[in-house]
Order: sequence, then structure tokens, then C-alpha cells
Amino acid sequence: MATETKLSHTAAMILQTVNAGYIYGFSVMEMTGLPSGTVYPAMRRLERDALIRSHWEEQSIADEEQRPPRKYYKLTPAGKVTLEASRKRYPLLAKLVPEHQEEQV
Amino acid sequence: MKLRTSLPCHLAELCMIRCASWLVPREQRQAWLMEWNAELWHVRELCTPQKGVSWQAEREVAEFCWGAFQDARCLRQADGNGIARVAVMGSAMRCLFSMMVLLAASYGAALLLPGAFVAMHPPKYKDVGHLVLIQSTMAASDTSATISGEQYNTWKSRPRKLFDGFAFYQVMLRSLPDAQGKIVKESVAVASPDLFRLLGVNPDDAAVQSRDGVLPMLVSSSLWHRRFGGDPAIVGREIAIGSDRVRVAGLVPEGFWRLPGKVDAWVLTPDDAIPPDAVGYVVGRVSAAAKYPGWTNSWEMTAPLPNGNTGEFLCVNLSDRMRGPQGLFLFAVILACLALPATTSLPLGEYRGAPRGLSWGTRLRRWSFLGSKLGLLLPIVYFASLDLAHLTTSIDPIKSEYIQLLAAFSLCLFGLRWVLRDQRERCPVCLRTLTNPARVGHPSRNFLAWNGTELICTGGHGLLHVPEIETSWFSTQRWLYLDPSWEILFAESASASYF
Repeated sequence: MATETKLSHTAAMILQTVNAGYIYGFSVMEMTGLPSGTVYPAMRRLERDALIRSHWEEQSIADEEQRPPRKYYKLTPAGKVTLEASRKRYPLLAKLVPEHQEEQV
Repeated sequence: MKLRTSLPCHLAELCMIRCASWLVPREQRQAWLMEWNAELWHVRELCTPQKGVSWQAEREVAEFCWGAFQDARCLRQADGNGIARVAVMGSAMRCLFSMMVLLAASYGAALLLPGAFVAMHPPKYKDVGHLVLIQSTMAASDTSATISGEQYNTWKSRPRKLFDGFAFYQVMLRSLPDAQGKIVKESVAVASPDLFRLLGVNPDDAAVQSRDGVLPMLVSSSLWHRRFGGDPAIVGREIAIGSDRVRVAGLVPEGFWRLPGKVDAWVLTPDDAIPPDAVGYVVGRVSAAAKYPGWTNSWEMTAPLPNGNTGEFLCVNLSDRMRGPQGLFLFAVILACLALPATTSLPLGEYRGAPRGLSWGTRLRRWSFLGSKLGLLLPIVYFASLDLAHLTTSIDPIKSEYIQLLAAFSLCLFGLRWVLRDQRERCPVCLRTLTNPARVGHPSRNFLAWNGTELICTGGHGLLHVPEIETSWFSTQRWLYLDPSWEILFAESASASYF
């Protein structure tokens, strides 16, 4: 990445949350306590800036569990670099969002 | 498959998301809709009970869905440069847009409300400058009738120089049958046949002639709709008014009647059939040849009484009754402007020199925004006051004027107050509303320091300090511009806006 993207605290928190394993919109909302009107637009902008990428869950998995397929998000390498920079800028970020490894894609 | 009792709520939420999806650019809409529908499904599974309805949970889900609109709007804004530029000015544009919506709503209501529409388009009586309402000088106002039928006939029968026409009418409540035959009480005027000709309407002579002793009656448009269901066949039909039979001869358009007294129907009665003891109003037309220096809108005259003596009468020109609501509105605006300093301070605060120097464009935009708000406020107040004054057609015209005056004054006063407060609470650079109010200082230390509220522009342009108590050293709010070294704290001013 030629220039480092400066993130606001909220955007950095969402990036940290996705990195911590909360990989779909509602889980990010639950973890951060932010409303849907903030989380989803922010995730779209993070995706636009190539800091995260999204992909749809396999239809067969969703069918097996009798639910609609979800859209999952994951940090890109650029996102990891930006997150590291944001952690330096906002030192409490890691404490605000603890690591969470249960969710797997 | 069992249907859940909360299904209607789920359907309503799906509708919300579907509506929000229309804001999303077409090429992204399908994927966006899929994601939100899937998320909604999971949110409902987690938040709502399997059986019954939990309103608290439904509220949470509805709030979740409300976010779809913000998400869709962000996508829409990101779609084009022009729209993105609007987003920078989002707060100010939203404010102006909301005012435009209010203006459209109040204007639309004024067009739909018959009374308000008529008030905006007052009738034009023929030669209204020469029409006067004659009343006794003893009368305090024109709300009560003062001229007897005998007095009217005395004037009518005498040779005249000053007037070339008279008409009489008496307003009373009479019983009449409506379309279903039900007897209702309505305000009916017994009027001399020349009344409408004097006002400039020339009804069909054949239609307004009495036939076989049955008097012709003109009905107002509102009565025709209210009591006769707008039936065109009512014209020519005979109906009973009290013990008399009358024939409906025609309709008087809505808002035509501007003379004292609320009248729904006019029974055109020959002058010699007007009872001598009937007390009503007299309208006179001053002869075009008559000249009297010093005539104003109202003047007194001496006229013969039926007993041979003379009496004093007041002639009031009808021009005042023909005026539209604009004069009253302007009066209310002037009153509100005079009262405004008593309700809020007029200065917009101190704006000391900006470190980077504000461009003329930025300054001009700020003042244009204030001007636009004022420019939109006045027509909103005008139409809204008209709407309130004419909510129903049953309101007397005089009461309508009072309501309009009061409504226009109140709306204008509070509107101007809001415009100034809103302007003070905006960043002078980007015009967004200042946020994050923080209390600073202690009231007990007011003498040595200051205490009040500090607001911040999220774009990083500066801070606003609003004193809690006005002092000689801190009498008004102060804006503090921030220099570029503060930008690191405001990510959105440096990079693309996240929030």
C-alpha cells in the first residue's frame, strides 16, 4: 500500500473486531455495541479501501442448517498492516476487542 | 410448517429493507438485499422468541432494519461524485431539504384545504372601491346587524344622489332538509334581489325570479357538498325552509362571500316582502359621480330615519374585506421580528481569525445558508398559518384571521429563533452541526475562569465555547479555529470519510 489509510477510532475498532474473528455484520454489531447504520456502511468502506474482503457462504452449508447463506468478511494483508498502524495510534484497541477464534469460515 | 405470531412484524421489516434497497445503485442492489435479508433472518432468530411476540425484541429488530437505510444511503452517496459532494455538506443539505419538504407539505395542504385555497385567491367584487357596508355608528363592530328592514326600505324608496344602489340581507338560522330528508339547521340569509348584482355577479334573471310565490335560493358550494352530496340535480328543486318553500336557483362559489355573517344560503326576497322589524346589514354602492373630499375607508353620514328624523351612520368600504392574507402575514412577521430579541440573542457569536484564512467562497456559503433558511422559513410560515386558519370550512372568516395572525406570529417567532440557534450551532467552515457537547468549568469559578459547554466539529475545523453565564469578558459564544496540527485526531478530514 503506497499510502497508509488513516482510520477513525470506530473504523479501527471494526477492523480489529473482524480480525478477532467476528466475521459477519451482526456479530461485529454485538461485539462493538455499534448500531447497524454505522457498522454496515463502515464495512463497505473498509472493503472499498481493500482492507477487508467479503465472500458468500456455500449455499449447501446454509441449506443444511435451513437458513439463508451469510456474507463473511476477512482482513486482507493491507488491512492487517493498517490494523497494526491503528493499534499503535489507538493503544486500547486490543483491550476493547479481545481475540475470538471460534468463528471459522 | 407453523407460522410464527410475529410474522407480520417480520413482513414489515422485510418491507423496510426492500424500501431501503431502492436507494442502492441497481448493480449492487441484489447482493445488498441478499446480505440484509440474511442478516435479518439471523437477528430475528437470536433476538425474538419462538412463540409469542416480544415488543422489546421487535423494537430492537426494527432499529436494526433502520440501519439499512443509512447503509443504502452511504452506498448511494459513494456512487457518484456529485452526490459525494452533497454528502460533505450533508448536515446543511439535509436541513435545507427538510425545510423544502415542509414547504411542499404546507403548500400542498393549502391547495387541498378549500378555505386556504380560497384565502389565497380572494374573490373580486365589481367596483369594490365604491361598495360600502352601512351600519349604525352605535355599533361597536360589524359582527352585529344594526339596520332594520323598515330603514332599508325608507332609503330605497327615497331619491338619492350619493348612492346608486342598495341591498339588504339578514342572517338567521333556519331549518332545511338535506339530501336524506333529515332536517338540519343552517345559516340562511334573507337577501334583497339586488345583493348579488351589487357585488358584481349577474345571475340568470329567469332563474332568480320567484315563480308562483316560491322564492329563489342560492346555496353556497360548501352547503351543496355538505348537505346535498354535490348533487347537480338539486338546482331547480323546491325545498322547505322552515314553513316557506324555496327553489334552489344556483350555487355560489366557495369563498365568494366576504360580507359580515357566515351564510350558507341566500333566499332572494323582494324588498317589499322584507319584514320591517328584520334587522340586518345594508350594502350600498356609492355613485361614481358622487364626490366627497376626505373620503377614507370609513366615513360617517347623516341619513333619514323612518320616523322622519335623521341619524348618524357609518359607511365602511368593502376593500378591506377583499384583501388577501398577505397583509396579515406581513404584520405577523414584523411583530415576530420585534419580539425576537426578547427570546434569543441576535448575534451569531464571535468568529476570530482562522489560522488558514477562510476563503470568500466559504464565507459566502455560510451566509447563503442562513439566507436560504430564512427564505424557506417565511413561505413555510405563510402556508402553515393559512392551513391552520382554514382547517375546516366551519371557521368564521373573522376567527380565521385571528387564528392566522396568531399562528403566523408564533411560527415565525419560533422559526426565526430556531434559524439563529441552528446557525450558531454549526461549523462556519463545513456547516455541519457541532456535536459532542462537553461541560467545561465550574459555576463557582465563574469569576476567575469560564464555565459552559464546548462543542466540536467532527471535521476538525474547530471548537465552539458557549458560556453558561454571560459575563463582561465572555458575553457571547466563541468559535476557536483549529490549525492543521489537530487533523490527526480527525481521521475523516485526512482521508475518505468513514463517519
